[in-house]
Amino acid sequence: MAEVRLEGIRKAYGTVEILNDIDLEIAHGEFVVFVGPSGSGKSTLLRMIGGLEKISGGTLKIDNRVVNLMDAADRNLGMVFQSYALYPHLTVRDNLAFPLRMAKLGKNQIASKVHDAAALLQIEHLLDRKPKQLSGGQRQRVAIGRAIVREPKVFLFDEPLSNLDTELRVQMRVQIAKLHRQLGNTMIYVTHDQVEAMTMANKIVVLKDGRIEQVGSPHDLYHRPATQFVAGFIGSPRMNFLPCKLKAKDEARAEVALRDGSSRWLPVQAGAVEPGQALTLGIRPDDFVAPSERPGELVIEIDVDFVEHLGSATYLYGAAFGEHIVARSPTDHFHAGSGGRVSLAVTPSDCHLFTEKGKALSRLEAPRSWS
Amino acid sequence: MDFTRSPATTFVLNALVALCALILAFPLVWIVMMSLKTQTDVMAWPPTFVFTPTLENFRVLFDVAQAGATSYGTIKVDFLSPIINSVVIALGSVVVSLIVGVPAGYVLARRDIPFKEDIAFFILGFRFAPVLLVVIPLFSLFQSMGLYDTYVGMVWVYQVITLPMIVWLTRSYVEDIPKDIEEAAAIDGAKPVRVVLHIVLPLLKTGLIGASLLVFLLAWHNFALGLMLSSTKAPVTVALLKLLNPGVQFYPVMAAGLVVTMIVPVILIVVGQRHLERGLTFGAVK
Repeated sequence: MAEVRLEGIRKAYGTVEILNDIDLEIAHGEFVVFVGPSGSGKSTLLRMIGGLEKISGGTLKIDNRVVNLMDAADRNLGMVFQSYALYPHLTVRDNLAFPLRMAKLGKNQIASKVHDAAALLQIEHLLDRKPKQLSGGQRQRVAIGRAIVREPKVFLFDEPLSNLDTELRVQMRVQIAKLHRQLGNTMIYVTHDQVEAMTMANKIVVLKDGRIEQVGSPHDLYHRPATQFVAGFIGSPRMNFLPCKLKAKDEARAEVALRDGSSRWLPVQAGAVEPGQALTLGIRPDDFVAPSERPGELVIEIDVDFVEHLGSATYLYGAAFGEHIVARSPTDHFHAGSGGRVSLAVTPSDCHLFTEKGKALSRLEAPRSWS
Repeated sequence: MDFTRSPATTFVLNALVALCALILAFPLVWIVMMSLKTQTDVMAWPPTFVFTPTLENFRVLFDVAQAGATSYGTIKVDFLSPIINSVVIALGSVVVSLIVGVPAGYVLARRDIPFKEDIAFFILGFRFAPVLLVVIPLFSLFQSMGLYDTYVGMVWVYQVITLPMIVWLTRSYVEDIPKDIEEAAAIDGAKPVRVVLHIVLPLLKTGLIGASLLVFLLAWHNFALGLMLSSTKAPVTVALLKLLNPGVQFYPVMAAGLVVTMIVPVILIVVGQRHLERGLTFGAVK
């Protein structure tokens, strides 16, 4: 069992606050991904859990034990670094054996554990090579092997895939996810790539400017983003944002007016927002459909200036109401030519609304989490 | 990187390299020739390039037993003990500098200590100042402490030459080791001392061999410290000066002494060239 609990964790360099009041609970066996733009403090947070950065305030508990001042060497963790950080002077075998030697295990035990880890990651044929004789993907596997060989309580991954090419990254992503299923350990994974976060995590922690924006399952974050930032960060291509105004509201609905004067009722709770106040309408590129004259649907005219054919999907880039818009074309064969104008519709229940301060209003008909 | 060059450019560049080599090699060749000539050949004008080589000069250098009776008249030369002195002093200095300087360089590279840059600069400062600056005050100090003309005193004072280099080179080599590697070792269960022993030192090895060679050469060639602070334990550089005996035409023996003095560094450079280049240019890793 290995739970990690962060209570009011703070990190400051002098007067510069890097992390602020971080509260987070990570249950045993969870795969938690810290995601956020660069400078959000996600790596610092991971390194604090690992014992590589001092904790300026708050309490860090691993297995209900306060470890704020515990040496990294004593925390019994495994970590995979972005640079892999293999020991260049040691062979792969000795790299894998290093944590076990530090734990003062016997020779036979070391040999058998190294063998098991190598077999799990299919690097047995590389055991006698030095790190510099390995390819990027192989180094990555050795780095993971070195982290798992000691069977640590918690695995930490610091952007482990960002030095790999796209194809390898997808492979390793699957391999790490499988590894998590096989080992069942707690894993904490840092990335700036929201696709990695979405595909691997049980729980995503979105960080921005040293604060947690939202914690939730990938499904929750996608369908019920708490803030405009999360809505824009999760999902690719990113969500479109259009300015609008609240025109009227009742308990379960809000009527918003767009720039062209048209207005629609959306199944979103306006809460404390009063009519006349400015809002931001959020629409995911994938939520555009062909207009069908259904009552209540929101029709948006887009001036398309670029069409991207991906084979499986076609994305239209253009503008509406003076804002950039990306929309997935409902038909695969879109040939408007440059400067074409197209009308696309959005179902009201697919719309997101954000206050001026970027807080999301509650969507009443958003898909429920299946997990 | 390979550029395409016209044959004319290549020729000019090669000619320049050849010229450089010639200018640099001339004194060396001249001294080696001199060391193999007799006194008459040395003094001949115009200089002779064809002569019967003799090892007499080298015999004079080392033949302590026959002291006094040489073909140059009555002189006594003992060149073996200065060489031994130099080896002991230079080697001892390097070893002491490694023991003291490597940990210091590591701390300066990796740890946050108060006044870090000032300390580092102060250590390097000894390399800016002329050695005589230290020598004059030390002269009386050494005499009163009984360190004058002892190996311990010499090795100690030679730290002025060797220690700053070892500290600064170690610092830059350690900075070249990605911090991740040490952090990985810490996560893998290694306490700070074990991180240094198992990870940092093996990675520094190549760089430190180069740095040691380099400071050994610096120590070997030092003159002022030995001249002022030793007499019987004087290094070979001081002994060479003593060969400049006023009134005696002593050039061929002195040339032989120079050749002998050069042999140790030359052997070291030839053997350790790979490491030396590395010590001068690259860090320990990559």
